[in-house]
Amino acid sequence: MSDAEDLPWTEVLFQALKDAKIDAISYVPDEGTGALVPAIEADPFFTVFPATREEEGVGLLTGAFLGGKKGALLIQASGVGNLLNALASVNLTADIPLLMIIGQRGGLGEFNPCQTPGGRAVPAYLSALGVSCYEAGTCAELADMVDGAASYAFTTRQPAAVIVNQHLQKGKRR
Amino acid sequence: MAMQQLHKMLDDEVVVSSLACTTIDWYQVEDRPLNFYLFGGMGMASSIALGMSVSMPSRRIIGMEGDGSVLMNLGSLASISVMKPENLILIIWDNEVYESTGGQVTHTGRGVDLSAISAAAGIKQSHLVETPQEFERLASRALKEPGPWVIVAKVVGDVDKSKAPPWRPVYYTHRFLDAVSK
Repeated sequence: MSDAEDLPWTEVLFQALKDAKIDAISYVPDEGTGALVPAIEADPFFTVFPATREEEGVGLLTGAFLGGKKGALLIQASGVGNLLNALASVNLTADIPLLMIIGQRGGLGEFNPCQTPGGRAVPAYLSALGVSCYEAGTCAELADMVDGAASYAFTTRQPAAVIVNQHLQKGKRR
Repeated sequence: MAMQQLHKMLDDEVVVSSLACTTIDWYQVEDRPLNFYLFGGMGMASSIALGMSVSMPSRRIIGMEGDGSVLMNLGSLASISVMKPENLILIIWDNEVYESTGGQVTHTGRGVDLSAISAAAGIKQSHLVETPQEFERLASRALKEPGPWVIVAKVVGDVDKSKAPPWRPVYYTHRFLDAVSK
C-alpha cells in the first residue's frame, strides 16, 4: 500500500489498467485523466480510440469488445452527461461491459461553476441506471477499485465506473 | 433493392446495422450470425463498426447507417478519417427522412450532403450514389479495395416494419461473439 501511495495517481491508474488486462482505451481528455494519454499511446499493449465525444467513446469500445478487447473510457465527470443514451440503450440492454474512469468535477475544491451541477450529478446519473460507481480518494483505493470494477464489469457483463476524486487528482490525500 | 444487391456480394463480412428501419430491413434480407443488430444507441452504428474494424483487422466490417443516425454523430466521420481502417465500409442509406417515426424530413432532405462532409473530413473514398447500378459498382470495389469507404446511397424508404427481428439484444451479442470467434 505504501508503494502505491508514493507514485503519482496517473501511474497507479496506468498500471492498474494493464494489470486488469484492459487493452482498449477511448478518451475525451480532461486535465487529470488526459495526463495518461501520452503513456497509453506509447504503449503497444493498448489500442487507443480517441473520441470526439464521450458517447462516441462508448460506441468505439462496444465495437472493440465485440472484436475481442476489454475497454476503458477515460473522461471528465461532465462527459457522463454526454453518454447516457448509448450506455442505457446499448450496453445495459445487450450484455456489453465497459469500465469508465471518471475524473471528478464539482467536488471539494471545484472552481468552475459550470462543472458543478453535472459533476455532482454523476453518482446519481449512474445510480439511476443501475450502474455501479466507486469513488477513489487514495492511490491504494484507485488500484483496488480499478481491479475490482474491471473484474465486476467483464464478469457480470455490466458497465462500472471508478471516479477519481478531486483531492486525489491534485495529489492530496484524504 | 440496394440491400439485396449488397447481400449477393457478401461472404463472411461483419454487418453492424443501425436501429429501427436499417436493422429491420437488413434482417429481412438475411438473418446472419455475423449481423450485429442495434435496437438502441442511435448514432452509434458507425462508431461500433469503427471500433470493430480496428480490433479485427483481418475481417471486413460493414457499418450500415441511416442519415438521421449519422447526423447525430458526425464526429464519427472525423474519427474514421483519423483511424483510417482499411477494412471498414460505412454505407449510409439516405432516404432523407426519419422513417420509423413517421417520415419527418432530416437535414439531408434539406440539402445537407453527407458524402461531402465525409470527404471534407479526409475520407478519400467518400461517394454519393443515386442509382442501383452505381451502388453495385462501388460496393463491389469497396469489398475488394482498401478503405475506409463511405458510400451514401440515396434510397426510398419503404420498409415493412411488421417484420422486425425479435427484440433479443443479449442473444444477438452472444451469437455474434460466437460467430466471430470461429
